[in-house]
Amino acid sequence: MAEVGEIIEGCRLPVLRRNQDNEDEWPLAEILSVKDISGRKLFYVHYIDFNKRLDEWVTHERLDLKKIQFPKKEAKTPTKNGLPGSRPGSPEREVPASAQASGKTLPIPVQITLRFNLPKEREAIPGGEPDQPLSSSSCLQPNHRSTKRKVEVVSPATPVPSETAPASVFPQNGAARRAVAAQPGRKRKSNCLGTDEDSQDSSDGIPSAPRMTGSLVSDRSHDDIVTRMKNIECIELGRHRLKPWYFSPYPQELTTLPVLYLCEFCLKYGRSLKCLQRHLTKCDLRHPPGNEIYRKGTISFFEIDGRKNKSYSQNLCLLAKCFLDHKTLYYGTDPFLFYVMTEYDCKGFHIVGYFSKEKESTEDYNVACILTLPPYQRRGYGKLLIEFSYELSKVEGKTGTPEKPLSDLGLLSYRSYWSQTILEILMGLKSESGERPQITINEISEITSIKKEDVISTLQYLNLINYYKGQYILTLSEDIVDGHERAMLKRLLRIDSKCLHFTPKDWSKRGKW
Amino acid sequence: MSKLSFRARALDAAKPLPIYRGKDMPDLNDCVSINRAVPQMPTGMEKEEESEHHLQRAISAQQVFREKKESMVIPVPEAESNVNYYNRLYKGEFKQPKQFIHIQPFNLDNEQPDYDMDSEDETLLNRLNRKMEIKPLQFEIMIDRLEKASSNQLVTLQEAKLLLNEDDYLIKAVYDYWVRKRKNCRGPSLIPQIKQEKRDGSTNNDPYVAFRRRTEKMQTRKNRKNDEASYEKMLKLRREFSRAITILEMIKRREKTKRELLHLTLEVVEKRYHLGDYGGEILNEVKISRSEKELYATPATLHNGNHHKVQECKTKVLSPVSEPEEENDPDGPCAFRRRAGCQYYAPRLDQANHSCENSELADLDKLRYRHCLTTLTVPRRCIGFARRRIGRGGRVIMDRISTEHDPVLKQIDPEMLNSFSSSSQTIDFSSNFSRTNASSKHCENRLSLSEILSNIRSCRLQCFQPRLLNLQDSDSEECTSRKPGQTVNNKRVSAASVALLNTSKNGISVTGGITEEQFQTHQQQLVQMQRQQLAQLQQKQQSQHSSQQTHPKAQGSSTSDCMSKTLDSASAHFAASAVVSAPVPSRSEVAKEQNTGHNNINGVVQPSGTSKTLYSTNMALSSSPGISAVQLVRTVGHTTTNHLIPALCTSSPQTLPMNNSCLTNAVHLNNVSVVSPVNVHINTRTSAPSPTALKLATVAASMDRVPKVTPSSAISSIARENHEPERLGLNGIAETTVAMEVT
Repeated sequence: MAEVGEIIEGCRLPVLRRNQDNEDEWPLAEILSVKDISGRKLFYVHYIDFNKRLDEWVTHERLDLKKIQFPKKEAKTPTKNGLPGSRPGSPEREVPASAQASGKTLPIPVQITLRFNLPKEREAIPGGEPDQPLSSSSCLQPNHRSTKRKVEVVSPATPVPSETAPASVFPQNGAARRAVAAQPGRKRKSNCLGTDEDSQDSSDGIPSAPRMTGSLVSDRSHDDIVTRMKNIECIELGRHRLKPWYFSPYPQELTTLPVLYLCEFCLKYGRSLKCLQRHLTKCDLRHPPGNEIYRKGTISFFEIDGRKNKSYSQNLCLLAKCFLDHKTLYYGTDPFLFYVMTEYDCKGFHIVGYFSKEKESTEDYNVACILTLPPYQRRGYGKLLIEFSYELSKVEGKTGTPEKPLSDLGLLSYRSYWSQTILEILMGLKSESGERPQITINEISEITSIKKEDVISTLQYLNLINYYKGQYILTLSEDIVDGHERAMLKRLLRIDSKCLHFTPKDWSKRGKW
Repeated sequence: MSKLSFRARALDAAKPLPIYRGKDMPDLNDCVSINRAVPQMPTGMEKEEESEHHLQRAISAQQVFREKKESMVIPVPEAESNVNYYNRLYKGEFKQPKQFIHIQPFNLDNEQPDYDMDSEDETLLNRLNRKMEIKPLQFEIMIDRLEKASSNQLVTLQEAKLLLNEDDYLIKAVYDYWVRKRKNCRGPSLIPQIKQEKRDGSTNNDPYVAFRRRTEKMQTRKNRKNDEASYEKMLKLRREFSRAITILEMIKRREKTKRELLHLTLEVVEKRYHLGDYGGEILNEVKISRSEKELYATPATLHNGNHHKVQECKTKVLSPVSEPEEENDPDGPCAFRRRAGCQYYAPRLDQANHSCENSELADLDKLRYRHCLTTLTVPRRCIGFARRRIGRGGRVIMDRISTEHDPVLKQIDPEMLNSFSSSSQTIDFSSNFSRTNASSKHCENRLSLSEILSNIRSCRLQCFQPRLLNLQDSDSEECTSRKPGQTVNNKRVSAASVALLNTSKNGISVTGGITEEQFQTHQQQLVQMQRQQLAQLQQKQQSQHSSQQTHPKAQGSSTSDCMSKTLDSASAHFAASAVVSAPVPSRSEVAKEQNTGHNNINGVVQPSGTSKTLYSTNMALSSSPGISAVQLVRTVGHTTTNHLIPALCTSSPQTLPMNNSCLTNAVHLNNVSVVSPVNVHINTRTSAPSPTALKLATVAASMDRVPKVTPSSAISSIARENHEPERLGLNGIAETTVAMEVT
């Protein structure tokens, strides 16, 4: 049992968390930061294997101090590189430095067991590594990351669906351990973190600056403690109060405010309600400052040029960053167009969501970042945004795909949109003259503007492709059809291409975006 | 029956896939897992996030139930939509327009202050409002200006007063408040702003710095060829624009001159009116007196006894066969193209345009067209007074004028004239200087032959003399000069010696003007220029040396012949000894000096004004040989010069005076633009440099110090040089190519 005062950054311990079903859970969490507010300690915790957006400040009452694991000596201070292997949401594993063992466990035996016991389910260790001498520093330094992996300790209280759970290792006596749920399957294996992650860093090639081409970037090099923590407590935007999910580079002096007040229409940020009031006397915008290119019912889309309307674009990006982990605001907004979806009421055109798009994409991206603001989530707006983005691609006569990486919600939304769109086509096909209807993947891609790879992945995901009698077939099972029909009944918001007034510009001829 | 013995073909996106539904679905047992044939597509997520519990749960739920269940939704932090003061905050309503909203991006800047007042400010405002009236907006504008005017350093009260157009008390109050508030403010500005990147890269990793400038341009597929083509087009455009500018400048000048003329005419008319000069008598009177005065004032008008020995249209200046610049002629298909092997006169563009810039030049122009005593080479005789013109195609046309002296003049032995002039070379020029004026031989002047002769004799004036080689030079001078700066180049003044005299006199009498430092920099410029010229020469040499090689010998001998006949031996000796006795560098200088002199002979009349500047340079060096130094450096790069050098070294003064062109660029560069800058390429064209010459040139070029040449030697060499062309001209036979000095 450790004292509250001993808790430092990097410690791991179960933390009480209430799930959606209002049940108490004790998932393992990592302490990212500690602060003292009027003598009361607050701990910023990241629940391991949960998305960063659930990270929060908790009091010590919610910490299970009995099961605390202290960070290893060399990883004590969360310096930029030395964050003790606790990337958000990454099921990093490391030899458990359990409370009593911490500080006593010799590094070398730990390394050895780690290496030889776990290589099968852990691609985290690069192939050549075991050949290297294990003498501490020489081995630890170059493979900083992989040596920091921690064996994940899953609290028994956490119900983990076994089939989808990441490889977990329960610590037993510190040295001997048994791999449970070590059936990660094909996908899991090939997608496992370690090596991929490392190689991704190097393949990006720009360790100091994120890539230029998009705004949706995994920004490993800046993954320091600052950007891992939410810095804005609350944002007031029109009728809504939003709790940000991620860090956003609003001016630093504003991060201490309990509430950041945004103008609903121009998205300018102010310190106080009074400031917002004053601002509203001067701001006469009642819609995003761009050209309306779509309107049906109360839904409108506005197109904003990131070069021509910098201040709005920047404000929009700052707001969006609060909800998009992989968005980078490293570079300016010039090469992007912003499509803002609004809902009209008597007060004006209220922002619902937006997506940004490169004016010229070298990789067929038709969306860079896409976001439905939290108050509007789970109401079909996201799919509407996606549908609109493909509608634009259709007008352009191109296929497109969202820039990677996708977030969890992004993946679900896109998969859902792709599935429904493709199924809609497949089910709409009528058999001609008694012959079985057929379609090529390219045709699907052309009709929908969904990039071929995404079509294939969706067909795979839906498990429609089968190999039968020497050829590939698409099989639409009953439950697929039923599920689709039910889903389409719920999908009431659709884009009407007749309401779109959009002429694509050839940005390549402009020289400047 | 799950494993297949064969490998499934790869999924072909272009191949039709039949669709099986519901009941006609084949038994799935007959179907084969396609995992191997169709590689699993990546999800596009970050690997580590893919494994997050909630996502996995949601995905599995979807796959199992084909539908999301409420509990399987990925949880997100809550958002509330219950801001109850919303309607008070966002006042008024906004009616949706019928038309789509279209915004003009530039209407967005409505000059509103970025600063928004807070409640603390409101307290201050309420306090201030007790004494005076201040509106929130007014206050915000004040703070806004203060904020935007100060960076890290706050503006001072004084600056604030300049910034703000308010009464002093208010400014003071707001300023003090602002300073206090800013000190307490945690941020860098009261207007919260996103942190900007710093140029030094220190902010590269600052997470709060956003929206950095994109330093590298985004890589997009661009057509490189296209870029090059457009770049070339831009260059062309630029060139054409600059030409347009030049033309416009010239038009401007022309119109100004016109206006000037108009004013002057008006003035004259007015003056005449006041004087009552209705018949024009006074005007005429004034005109005459003015022209007379002019003669006295400008020694350059002395032009007695110049022989015009005309090579009837035989002397052709060869323009360069082809030059790279001309290849790029912007005139395109209409450009003038030289035919191979054809020799053309170089175009003369500037004769009319530039001659009238000032009165001096106008005078010179007059000179140019005056009649003077002229002799012909073939047949060798004196034709009396004539005026030389360059006609179409470079023909030399003599306009003769009949005078009472004609019969006498025709009997004059041209040789006689020459001998007179040569013998008079060593005479102190300045002493005769004033007298030359008397010999002005406007045709009206009734002078007897003896008078003329005596004039010639006493003044050592040269007739217009046809020098085969020089003629070429001078022709080229006239024909090829193109540069706008060359204003006097078209003056073929026969009284070159006088001009020289004049210049040297100026050199002596005028002091100051140019510092040594200036001289040094000037020299550096010259050296650089010479190098360029050298390079050019070397190029030319290859092509032309062979063709010209054939002539020199014959010519060399012929010139020496004539030399022996006509050269004043004393002066020649003097010159030679001066040259020999001088140290090597100075020797070459002398040669150059001769060049200078020669140039003058060739028709460059230096109006006193400009020559002053030229020679004051030398005066700055406090010695008359300085002249040679300057001139030397100027001419070093030229082959002709170089040819002169060896000739002088062997004290055979019959060096070919074809170095006229040497000075062109030099003079041009020197800003003494009045002096005719004969084109370099004439020089390069007419003379092929020998290796030694080049060597000497480089030696001269590398020479820095001021050479020690005595004034006398310098002068004598100049004099001799002046003299030289006559000789050559005398025995010159109509030849189209320039003779080369054999070294």
